Amino acid sequence: MRNKTHDEFIERWAEFVKNDSNWKSYHTKFINAQYEKFFKFINKLSKTKEGQEKIVELYNIKNIKGYPKLLNKLK
Amino acid sequence: MIRGISNRNILDEFAINFCKIIEKYTEYIIVSGFLVISSGRVRSTEDIDMIIKPIQKEKFKLLHNELIKKNFICMQSDDPENIYLYLKDNLSVRYTYKDQPLPEMEVKFAVDDLDLYQLSTKTKLQLTGLDLYFGSVNMNIAFKEEYLKSPKDLEDAKHLRKVYHDTINEAEINKIKQKIRQLRLK
Repeated sequence: MRNKTHDEFIERWAEFVKNDSNWKSYHTKFINAQYEKFFKFINKLSKTKEGQEKIVELYNIKNIKGYPKLLNKLK
Repeated sequence: MIRGISNRNILDEFAINFCKIIEKYTEYIIVSGFLVISSGRVRSTEDIDMIIKPIQKEKFKLLHNELIKKNFICMQSDDPENIYLYLKDNLSVRYTYKDQPLPEMEVKFAVDDLDLYQLSTKTKLQLTGLDLYFGSVNMNIAFKEEYLKSPKDLEDAKHLRKVYHDTINEAEINKIKQKIRQLRLK
Protein backbone atom coordinates (compact mmCIF):
# COMPACT_ATOMS: atom_id res chain seq x y z
CA MET A 1 0.00 0.00 0.00
CA ARG A 2 1.21 3.53 -0.73
CA ASN A 3 0.79 4.78 2.84
CA LYS A 4 -1.51 4.56 5.82
CA THR A 5 -3.84 7.40 4.83
CA HIS A 6 -4.23 6.03 1.30
CA ASP A 7 -4.94 2.62 2.76
CA GLU A 8 -7.61 4.15 4.97
CA PHE A 9 -9.13 5.92 1.99
CA ILE A 10 -9.51 2.62 0.10
CA GLU A 11 -11.31 1.11 3.08
CA ARG A 12 -13.55 4.14 3.57
CA TRP A 13 -14.47 4.34 -0.11
CA ALA A 14 -15.19 0.58 -0.33
CA GLU A 15 -17.49 0.97 2.66
CA PHE A 16 -19.28 3.84 0.89
CA VAL A 17 -19.76 1.72 -2.26
CA LYS A 18 -21.19 -1.09 -0.16
CA ASN A 19 -23.66 1.09 1.66
CA ASP A 20 -24.65 3.98 -0.59
CA SER A 21 -26.57 3.18 -3.77
CA ASN A 22 -25.62 6.58 -5.17
CA TRP A 23 -21.91 5.70 -5.45
CA LYS A 24 -22.11 5.23 -9.20
CA SER A 25 -23.05 8.83 -9.95
CA TYR A 26 -19.80 10.09 -8.33
CA HIS A 27 -17.84 7.31 -9.93
CA THR A 28 -19.22 7.96 -13.43
CA LYS A 29 -18.22 11.61 -13.28
CA PHE A 30 -14.72 10.57 -12.25
CA ILE A 31 -14.27 8.00 -15.05
CA ASN A 32 -15.81 10.20 -17.75
CA ALA A 33 -13.73 13.20 -16.76
CA GLN A 34 -10.53 11.24 -17.34
CA TYR A 35 -11.65 10.06 -20.76
CA GLU A 36 -12.92 13.47 -21.81
CA LYS A 37 -9.53 14.88 -20.85
CA PHE A 38 -7.86 12.16 -22.88
CA PHE A 39 -10.04 12.76 -25.97
CA LYS A 40 -9.22 16.48 -25.91
CA PHE A 41 -5.54 15.81 -25.38
CA ILE A 42 -5.19 13.24 -28.14
CA ASN A 43 -6.94 15.46 -30.69
CA LYS A 44 -4.66 18.33 -29.76
CA LEU A 45 -1.59 16.10 -29.93
CA SER A 46 -2.54 14.83 -33.39
CA LYS A 47 -2.40 18.38 -34.73
CA THR A 48 1.11 19.07 -33.43
CA LYS A 49 4.38 18.47 -35.25
CA GLU A 50 5.09 14.71 -35.12
CA GLY A 51 2.07 14.35 -32.84
CA GLN A 52 0.59 11.56 -34.93
CA GLU A 53 3.85 9.60 -34.84
CA LYS A 54 3.81 9.99 -31.06
CA ILE A 55 0.24 8.63 -30.88
CA VAL A 56 1.22 5.59 -32.95
CA GLU A 57 4.16 4.96 -30.63
CA LEU A 58 2.24 5.61 -27.41
CA TYR A 59 -0.57 3.21 -28.22
CA ASN A 60 1.46 0.78 -30.35
CA ILE A 61 -0.94 1.19 -33.29
CA LYS A 62 -0.04 -1.11 -36.18
CA ASN A 63 -3.27 -0.69 -38.12
CA ILE A 64 -2.98 3.01 -38.99
CA LYS A 65 -5.86 2.76 -41.49
CA GLY A 66 -8.20 2.21 -38.52
CA TYR A 67 -7.66 5.79 -37.37
CA PRO A 68 -8.16 7.77 -40.60
CA LYS A 69 -9.07 11.13 -39.06
CA LEU A 70 -6.76 11.03 -36.06
CA LEU A 71 -3.76 9.86 -38.10
CA ASN A 72 -4.59 11.59 -41.39
CA LYS A 73 -1.00 12.70 -42.04
CA LEU A 74 0.31 9.16 -41.87
CA LYS A 75 -1.78 7.61 -44.67
CA MET B 1 -31.25 -9.09 -17.07
CA ILE B 2 -29.57 -7.49 -14.09
CA ARG B 3 -31.49 -4.63 -12.58
CA GLY B 4 -28.90 -2.12 -11.65
CA ILE B 5 -27.74 1.37 -11.19
CA SER B 6 -28.04 3.68 -14.20
CA ASN B 7 -25.38 6.28 -14.84
CA ARG B 8 -23.27 4.42 -17.35
CA ASN B 9 -19.78 5.74 -17.93
CA ILE B 10 -17.68 5.71 -21.10
CA LEU B 11 -16.03 2.40 -20.18
CA ASP B 12 -19.40 0.78 -19.43
CA GLU B 13 -20.84 1.76 -22.82
CA PHE B 14 -17.75 0.53 -24.64
CA ALA B 15 -17.81 -2.83 -22.82
CA ILE B 16 -21.55 -3.32 -23.36
CA ASN B 17 -21.32 -2.62 -27.10
CA PHE B 18 -18.36 -4.97 -27.50
CA CYS B 19 -19.80 -7.83 -25.44
CA LYS B 20 -23.12 -7.69 -27.31
CA ILE B 21 -21.23 -8.85 -30.40
CA ILE B 22 -18.82 -11.29 -28.73
CA GLU B 23 -21.59 -13.23 -26.99
CA LYS B 24 -23.13 -14.14 -30.35
CA TYR B 25 -20.01 -16.14 -31.22
CA THR B 26 -18.39 -17.46 -28.06
CA GLU B 27 -18.25 -17.35 -24.27
CA TYR B 28 -16.37 -14.49 -22.66
CA ILE B 29 -15.42 -13.10 -19.29
CA ILE B 30 -14.13 -9.71 -18.27
CA VAL B 31 -11.37 -9.85 -15.67
CA SER B 32 -9.08 -7.65 -13.62
CA GLY B 33 -9.19 -3.83 -13.70
CA PHE B 34 -12.59 -3.24 -15.26
CA LEU B 35 -14.22 -5.70 -12.84
CA VAL B 36 -12.73 -3.79 -9.92
CA ILE B 37 -13.61 -0.38 -11.36
CA SER B 38 -17.17 -1.54 -12.09
CA SER B 39 -17.30 -2.60 -8.46
CA GLY B 40 -16.64 0.97 -7.41
CA ARG B 41 -12.86 1.29 -7.17
CA VAL B 42 -11.81 4.88 -7.86
CA ARG B 43 -9.25 4.48 -10.57
CA SER B 44 -9.22 4.40 -14.34
CA THR B 45 -7.81 2.02 -16.91
CA GLU B 46 -6.81 2.18 -20.54
CA ASP B 47 -7.93 -1.33 -21.36
CA ILE B 48 -10.54 -3.89 -20.47
CA ASP B 49 -9.23 -7.46 -20.25
CA MET B 50 -11.35 -10.14 -21.87
CA ILE B 51 -10.81 -13.90 -22.08
CA ILE B 52 -12.81 -15.79 -24.71
CA LYS B 53 -13.32 -19.47 -25.34
CA PRO B 54 -11.23 -20.37 -28.43
CA ILE B 55 -13.14 -20.55 -31.71
CA GLN B 56 -12.32 -21.73 -35.22
CA LYS B 57 -10.86 -19.31 -37.74
CA GLU B 58 -13.97 -19.08 -39.92
CA LYS B 59 -16.13 -18.21 -36.93
CA PHE B 60 -13.57 -15.66 -35.79
CA LYS B 61 -13.70 -13.99 -39.22
CA LEU B 62 -17.46 -13.54 -38.86
CA LEU B 63 -16.97 -12.14 -35.37
CA HIS B 64 -14.27 -9.72 -36.53
CA ASN B 65 -16.35 -8.57 -39.50
CA GLU B 66 -19.28 -7.80 -37.24
CA LEU B 67 -17.01 -5.81 -34.91
CA ILE B 68 -15.81 -3.78 -37.90
CA LYS B 69 -19.40 -3.14 -39.01
CA LYS B 70 -20.16 -1.80 -35.53
CA ASN B 71 -17.31 0.73 -35.70
CA PHE B 72 -14.61 -1.26 -33.88
CA ILE B 73 -11.05 -1.54 -35.18
CA CYS B 74 -8.28 -3.97 -34.33
CA MET B 75 -5.07 -2.11 -33.47
CA GLN B 76 -2.88 -4.96 -34.69
CA SER B 77 -4.29 -5.46 -38.18
CA ASP B 78 -7.27 -5.20 -40.52
CA ASP B 79 -6.83 -8.76 -41.67
CA PRO B 80 -8.76 -11.34 -39.61
CA GLU B 81 -6.40 -14.13 -40.76
CA ASN B 82 -3.50 -12.21 -39.28
CA ILE B 83 -5.38 -11.33 -36.08
CA TYR B 84 -6.32 -14.98 -35.65
CA LEU B 85 -2.62 -15.93 -35.73
CA TYR B 86 -1.99 -13.65 -32.74
CA LEU B 87 -4.78 -15.35 -30.81
CA LYS B 88 -3.61 -18.85 -31.75
CA ASP B 89 -0.12 -17.90 -30.51
CA ASN B 90 -1.69 -16.98 -27.15
CA LEU B 91 -1.12 -13.28 -27.74
CA SER B 92 -3.79 -10.73 -26.99
CA VAL B 93 -5.27 -8.44 -29.64
CA ARG B 94 -6.71 -5.03 -28.96
CA TYR B 95 -9.88 -3.49 -30.33
CA THR B 96 -10.90 0.16 -30.04
CA TYR B 97 -13.55 2.32 -31.65
CA LYS B 98 -12.53 3.58 -35.08
CA ASP B 99 -10.40 6.73 -34.77
CA GLN B 100 -10.28 6.56 -30.99
CA PRO B 101 -7.28 4.74 -29.49
CA LEU B 102 -8.81 4.46 -26.00
CA PRO B 103 -10.50 2.72 -24.33
CA GLU B 104 -9.39 -0.62 -25.72
CA MET B 105 -10.61 -4.17 -25.30
CA GLU B 106 -7.71 -6.56 -24.87
CA VAL B 107 -8.90 -9.96 -26.05
CA LYS B 108 -7.15 -13.30 -25.67
CA PHE B 109 -8.08 -16.93 -26.04
CA ALA B 110 -8.29 -19.06 -22.89
CA VAL B 111 -4.84 -20.61 -22.71
CA ASP B 112 -4.94 -23.22 -19.95
CA ASP B 113 -7.10 -24.99 -17.37
CA LEU B 114 -7.09 -21.92 -15.18
CA ASP B 115 -8.62 -19.77 -17.93
CA LEU B 116 -11.17 -22.48 -18.74
CA TYR B 117 -12.01 -22.69 -15.04
CA GLN B 118 -12.47 -18.91 -15.01
CA LEU B 119 -14.89 -19.22 -17.93
CA SER B 120 -16.80 -22.03 -16.22
CA THR B 121 -17.23 -19.97 -13.05
CA LYS B 122 -18.22 -16.75 -14.82
CA THR B 123 -20.72 -14.56 -13.05
CA LYS B 124 -22.82 -11.43 -13.32
CA LEU B 125 -22.25 -8.96 -10.51
CA GLN B 126 -25.35 -7.17 -9.29
CA LEU B 127 -23.39 -4.32 -7.71
CA THR B 128 -21.86 -3.30 -11.05
CA GLY B 129 -25.30 -2.69 -12.59
CA LEU B 130 -23.93 -4.24 -15.79
CA ASP B 131 -25.43 -7.19 -17.62
CA LEU B 132 -22.00 -8.60 -18.46
CA TYR B 133 -20.10 -11.75 -17.55
CA PHE B 134 -17.14 -11.30 -15.22
CA GLY B 135 -14.57 -13.70 -13.83
CA SER B 136 -15.49 -14.59 -10.28
CA VAL B 137 -14.53 -12.23 -7.47
CA ASN B 138 -12.64 -15.09 -5.78
CA MET B 139 -10.65 -15.66 -8.95
CA ASN B 140 -9.78 -11.99 -9.36
CA ILE B 141 -8.65 -11.64 -5.76
CA ALA B 142 -6.47 -14.74 -6.11
CA PHE B 143 -4.84 -13.47 -9.31
CA LYS B 144 -4.16 -10.05 -7.88
CA GLU B 145 -2.73 -11.33 -4.59
CA GLU B 146 -0.79 -14.32 -5.90
CA TYR B 147 0.20 -13.51 -9.48
CA LEU B 148 0.06 -9.80 -10.33
CA LYS B 149 1.04 -8.39 -6.92
CA SER B 150 1.74 -4.76 -7.92
CA PRO B 151 0.70 -2.11 -5.37
CA LYS B 152 -2.27 -1.27 -7.61
CA ASP B 153 -3.33 -4.93 -7.79
CA LEU B 154 -3.04 -5.40 -4.05
CA GLU B 155 -5.21 -2.32 -3.54
CA ASP B 156 -7.71 -3.73 -6.05
CA ALA B 157 -7.84 -6.98 -4.07
CA LYS B 158 -8.34 -5.08 -0.84
CA HIS B 159 -11.25 -3.16 -2.40
CA LEU B 160 -12.86 -6.39 -3.67
CA ARG B 161 -12.46 -8.06 -0.28
CA LYS B 162 -14.21 -5.19 1.41
CA VAL B 163 -17.03 -4.68 -1.10
CA TYR B 164 -17.84 -8.38 -1.55
CA HIS B 165 -17.05 -9.34 2.04
CA ASP B 166 -20.25 -11.36 2.47
CA THR B 167 -19.76 -13.58 -0.59
CA ILE B 168 -16.02 -14.22 -0.66
CA ASN B 169 -14.97 -17.84 -0.29
CA GLU B 170 -11.52 -18.06 1.30
CA ALA B 171 -11.16 -21.80 0.61
CA GLU B 172 -11.88 -21.19 -3.08
CA ILE B 173 -9.34 -18.32 -3.20
CA ASN B 174 -6.69 -20.60 -1.70
CA LYS B 175 -7.53 -23.37 -4.16
CA ILE B 176 -7.14 -20.95 -7.07
CA LYS B 177 -3.86 -19.60 -5.67
CA GLN B 178 -2.56 -23.16 -5.59
CA LYS B 179 -3.56 -23.62 -9.25
CA ILE B 180 -1.84 -20.35 -10.14
CA ARG B 181 1.37 -21.59 -8.52
CA GLN B 182 1.10 -24.89 -10.43
CA LEU B 183 0.22 -23.46 -13.84
CA ARG B 184 1.60 -19.94 -14.02
CA LEU B 185 4.45 -19.69 -11.54
CA LYS B 186 6.26 -22.97 -12.08
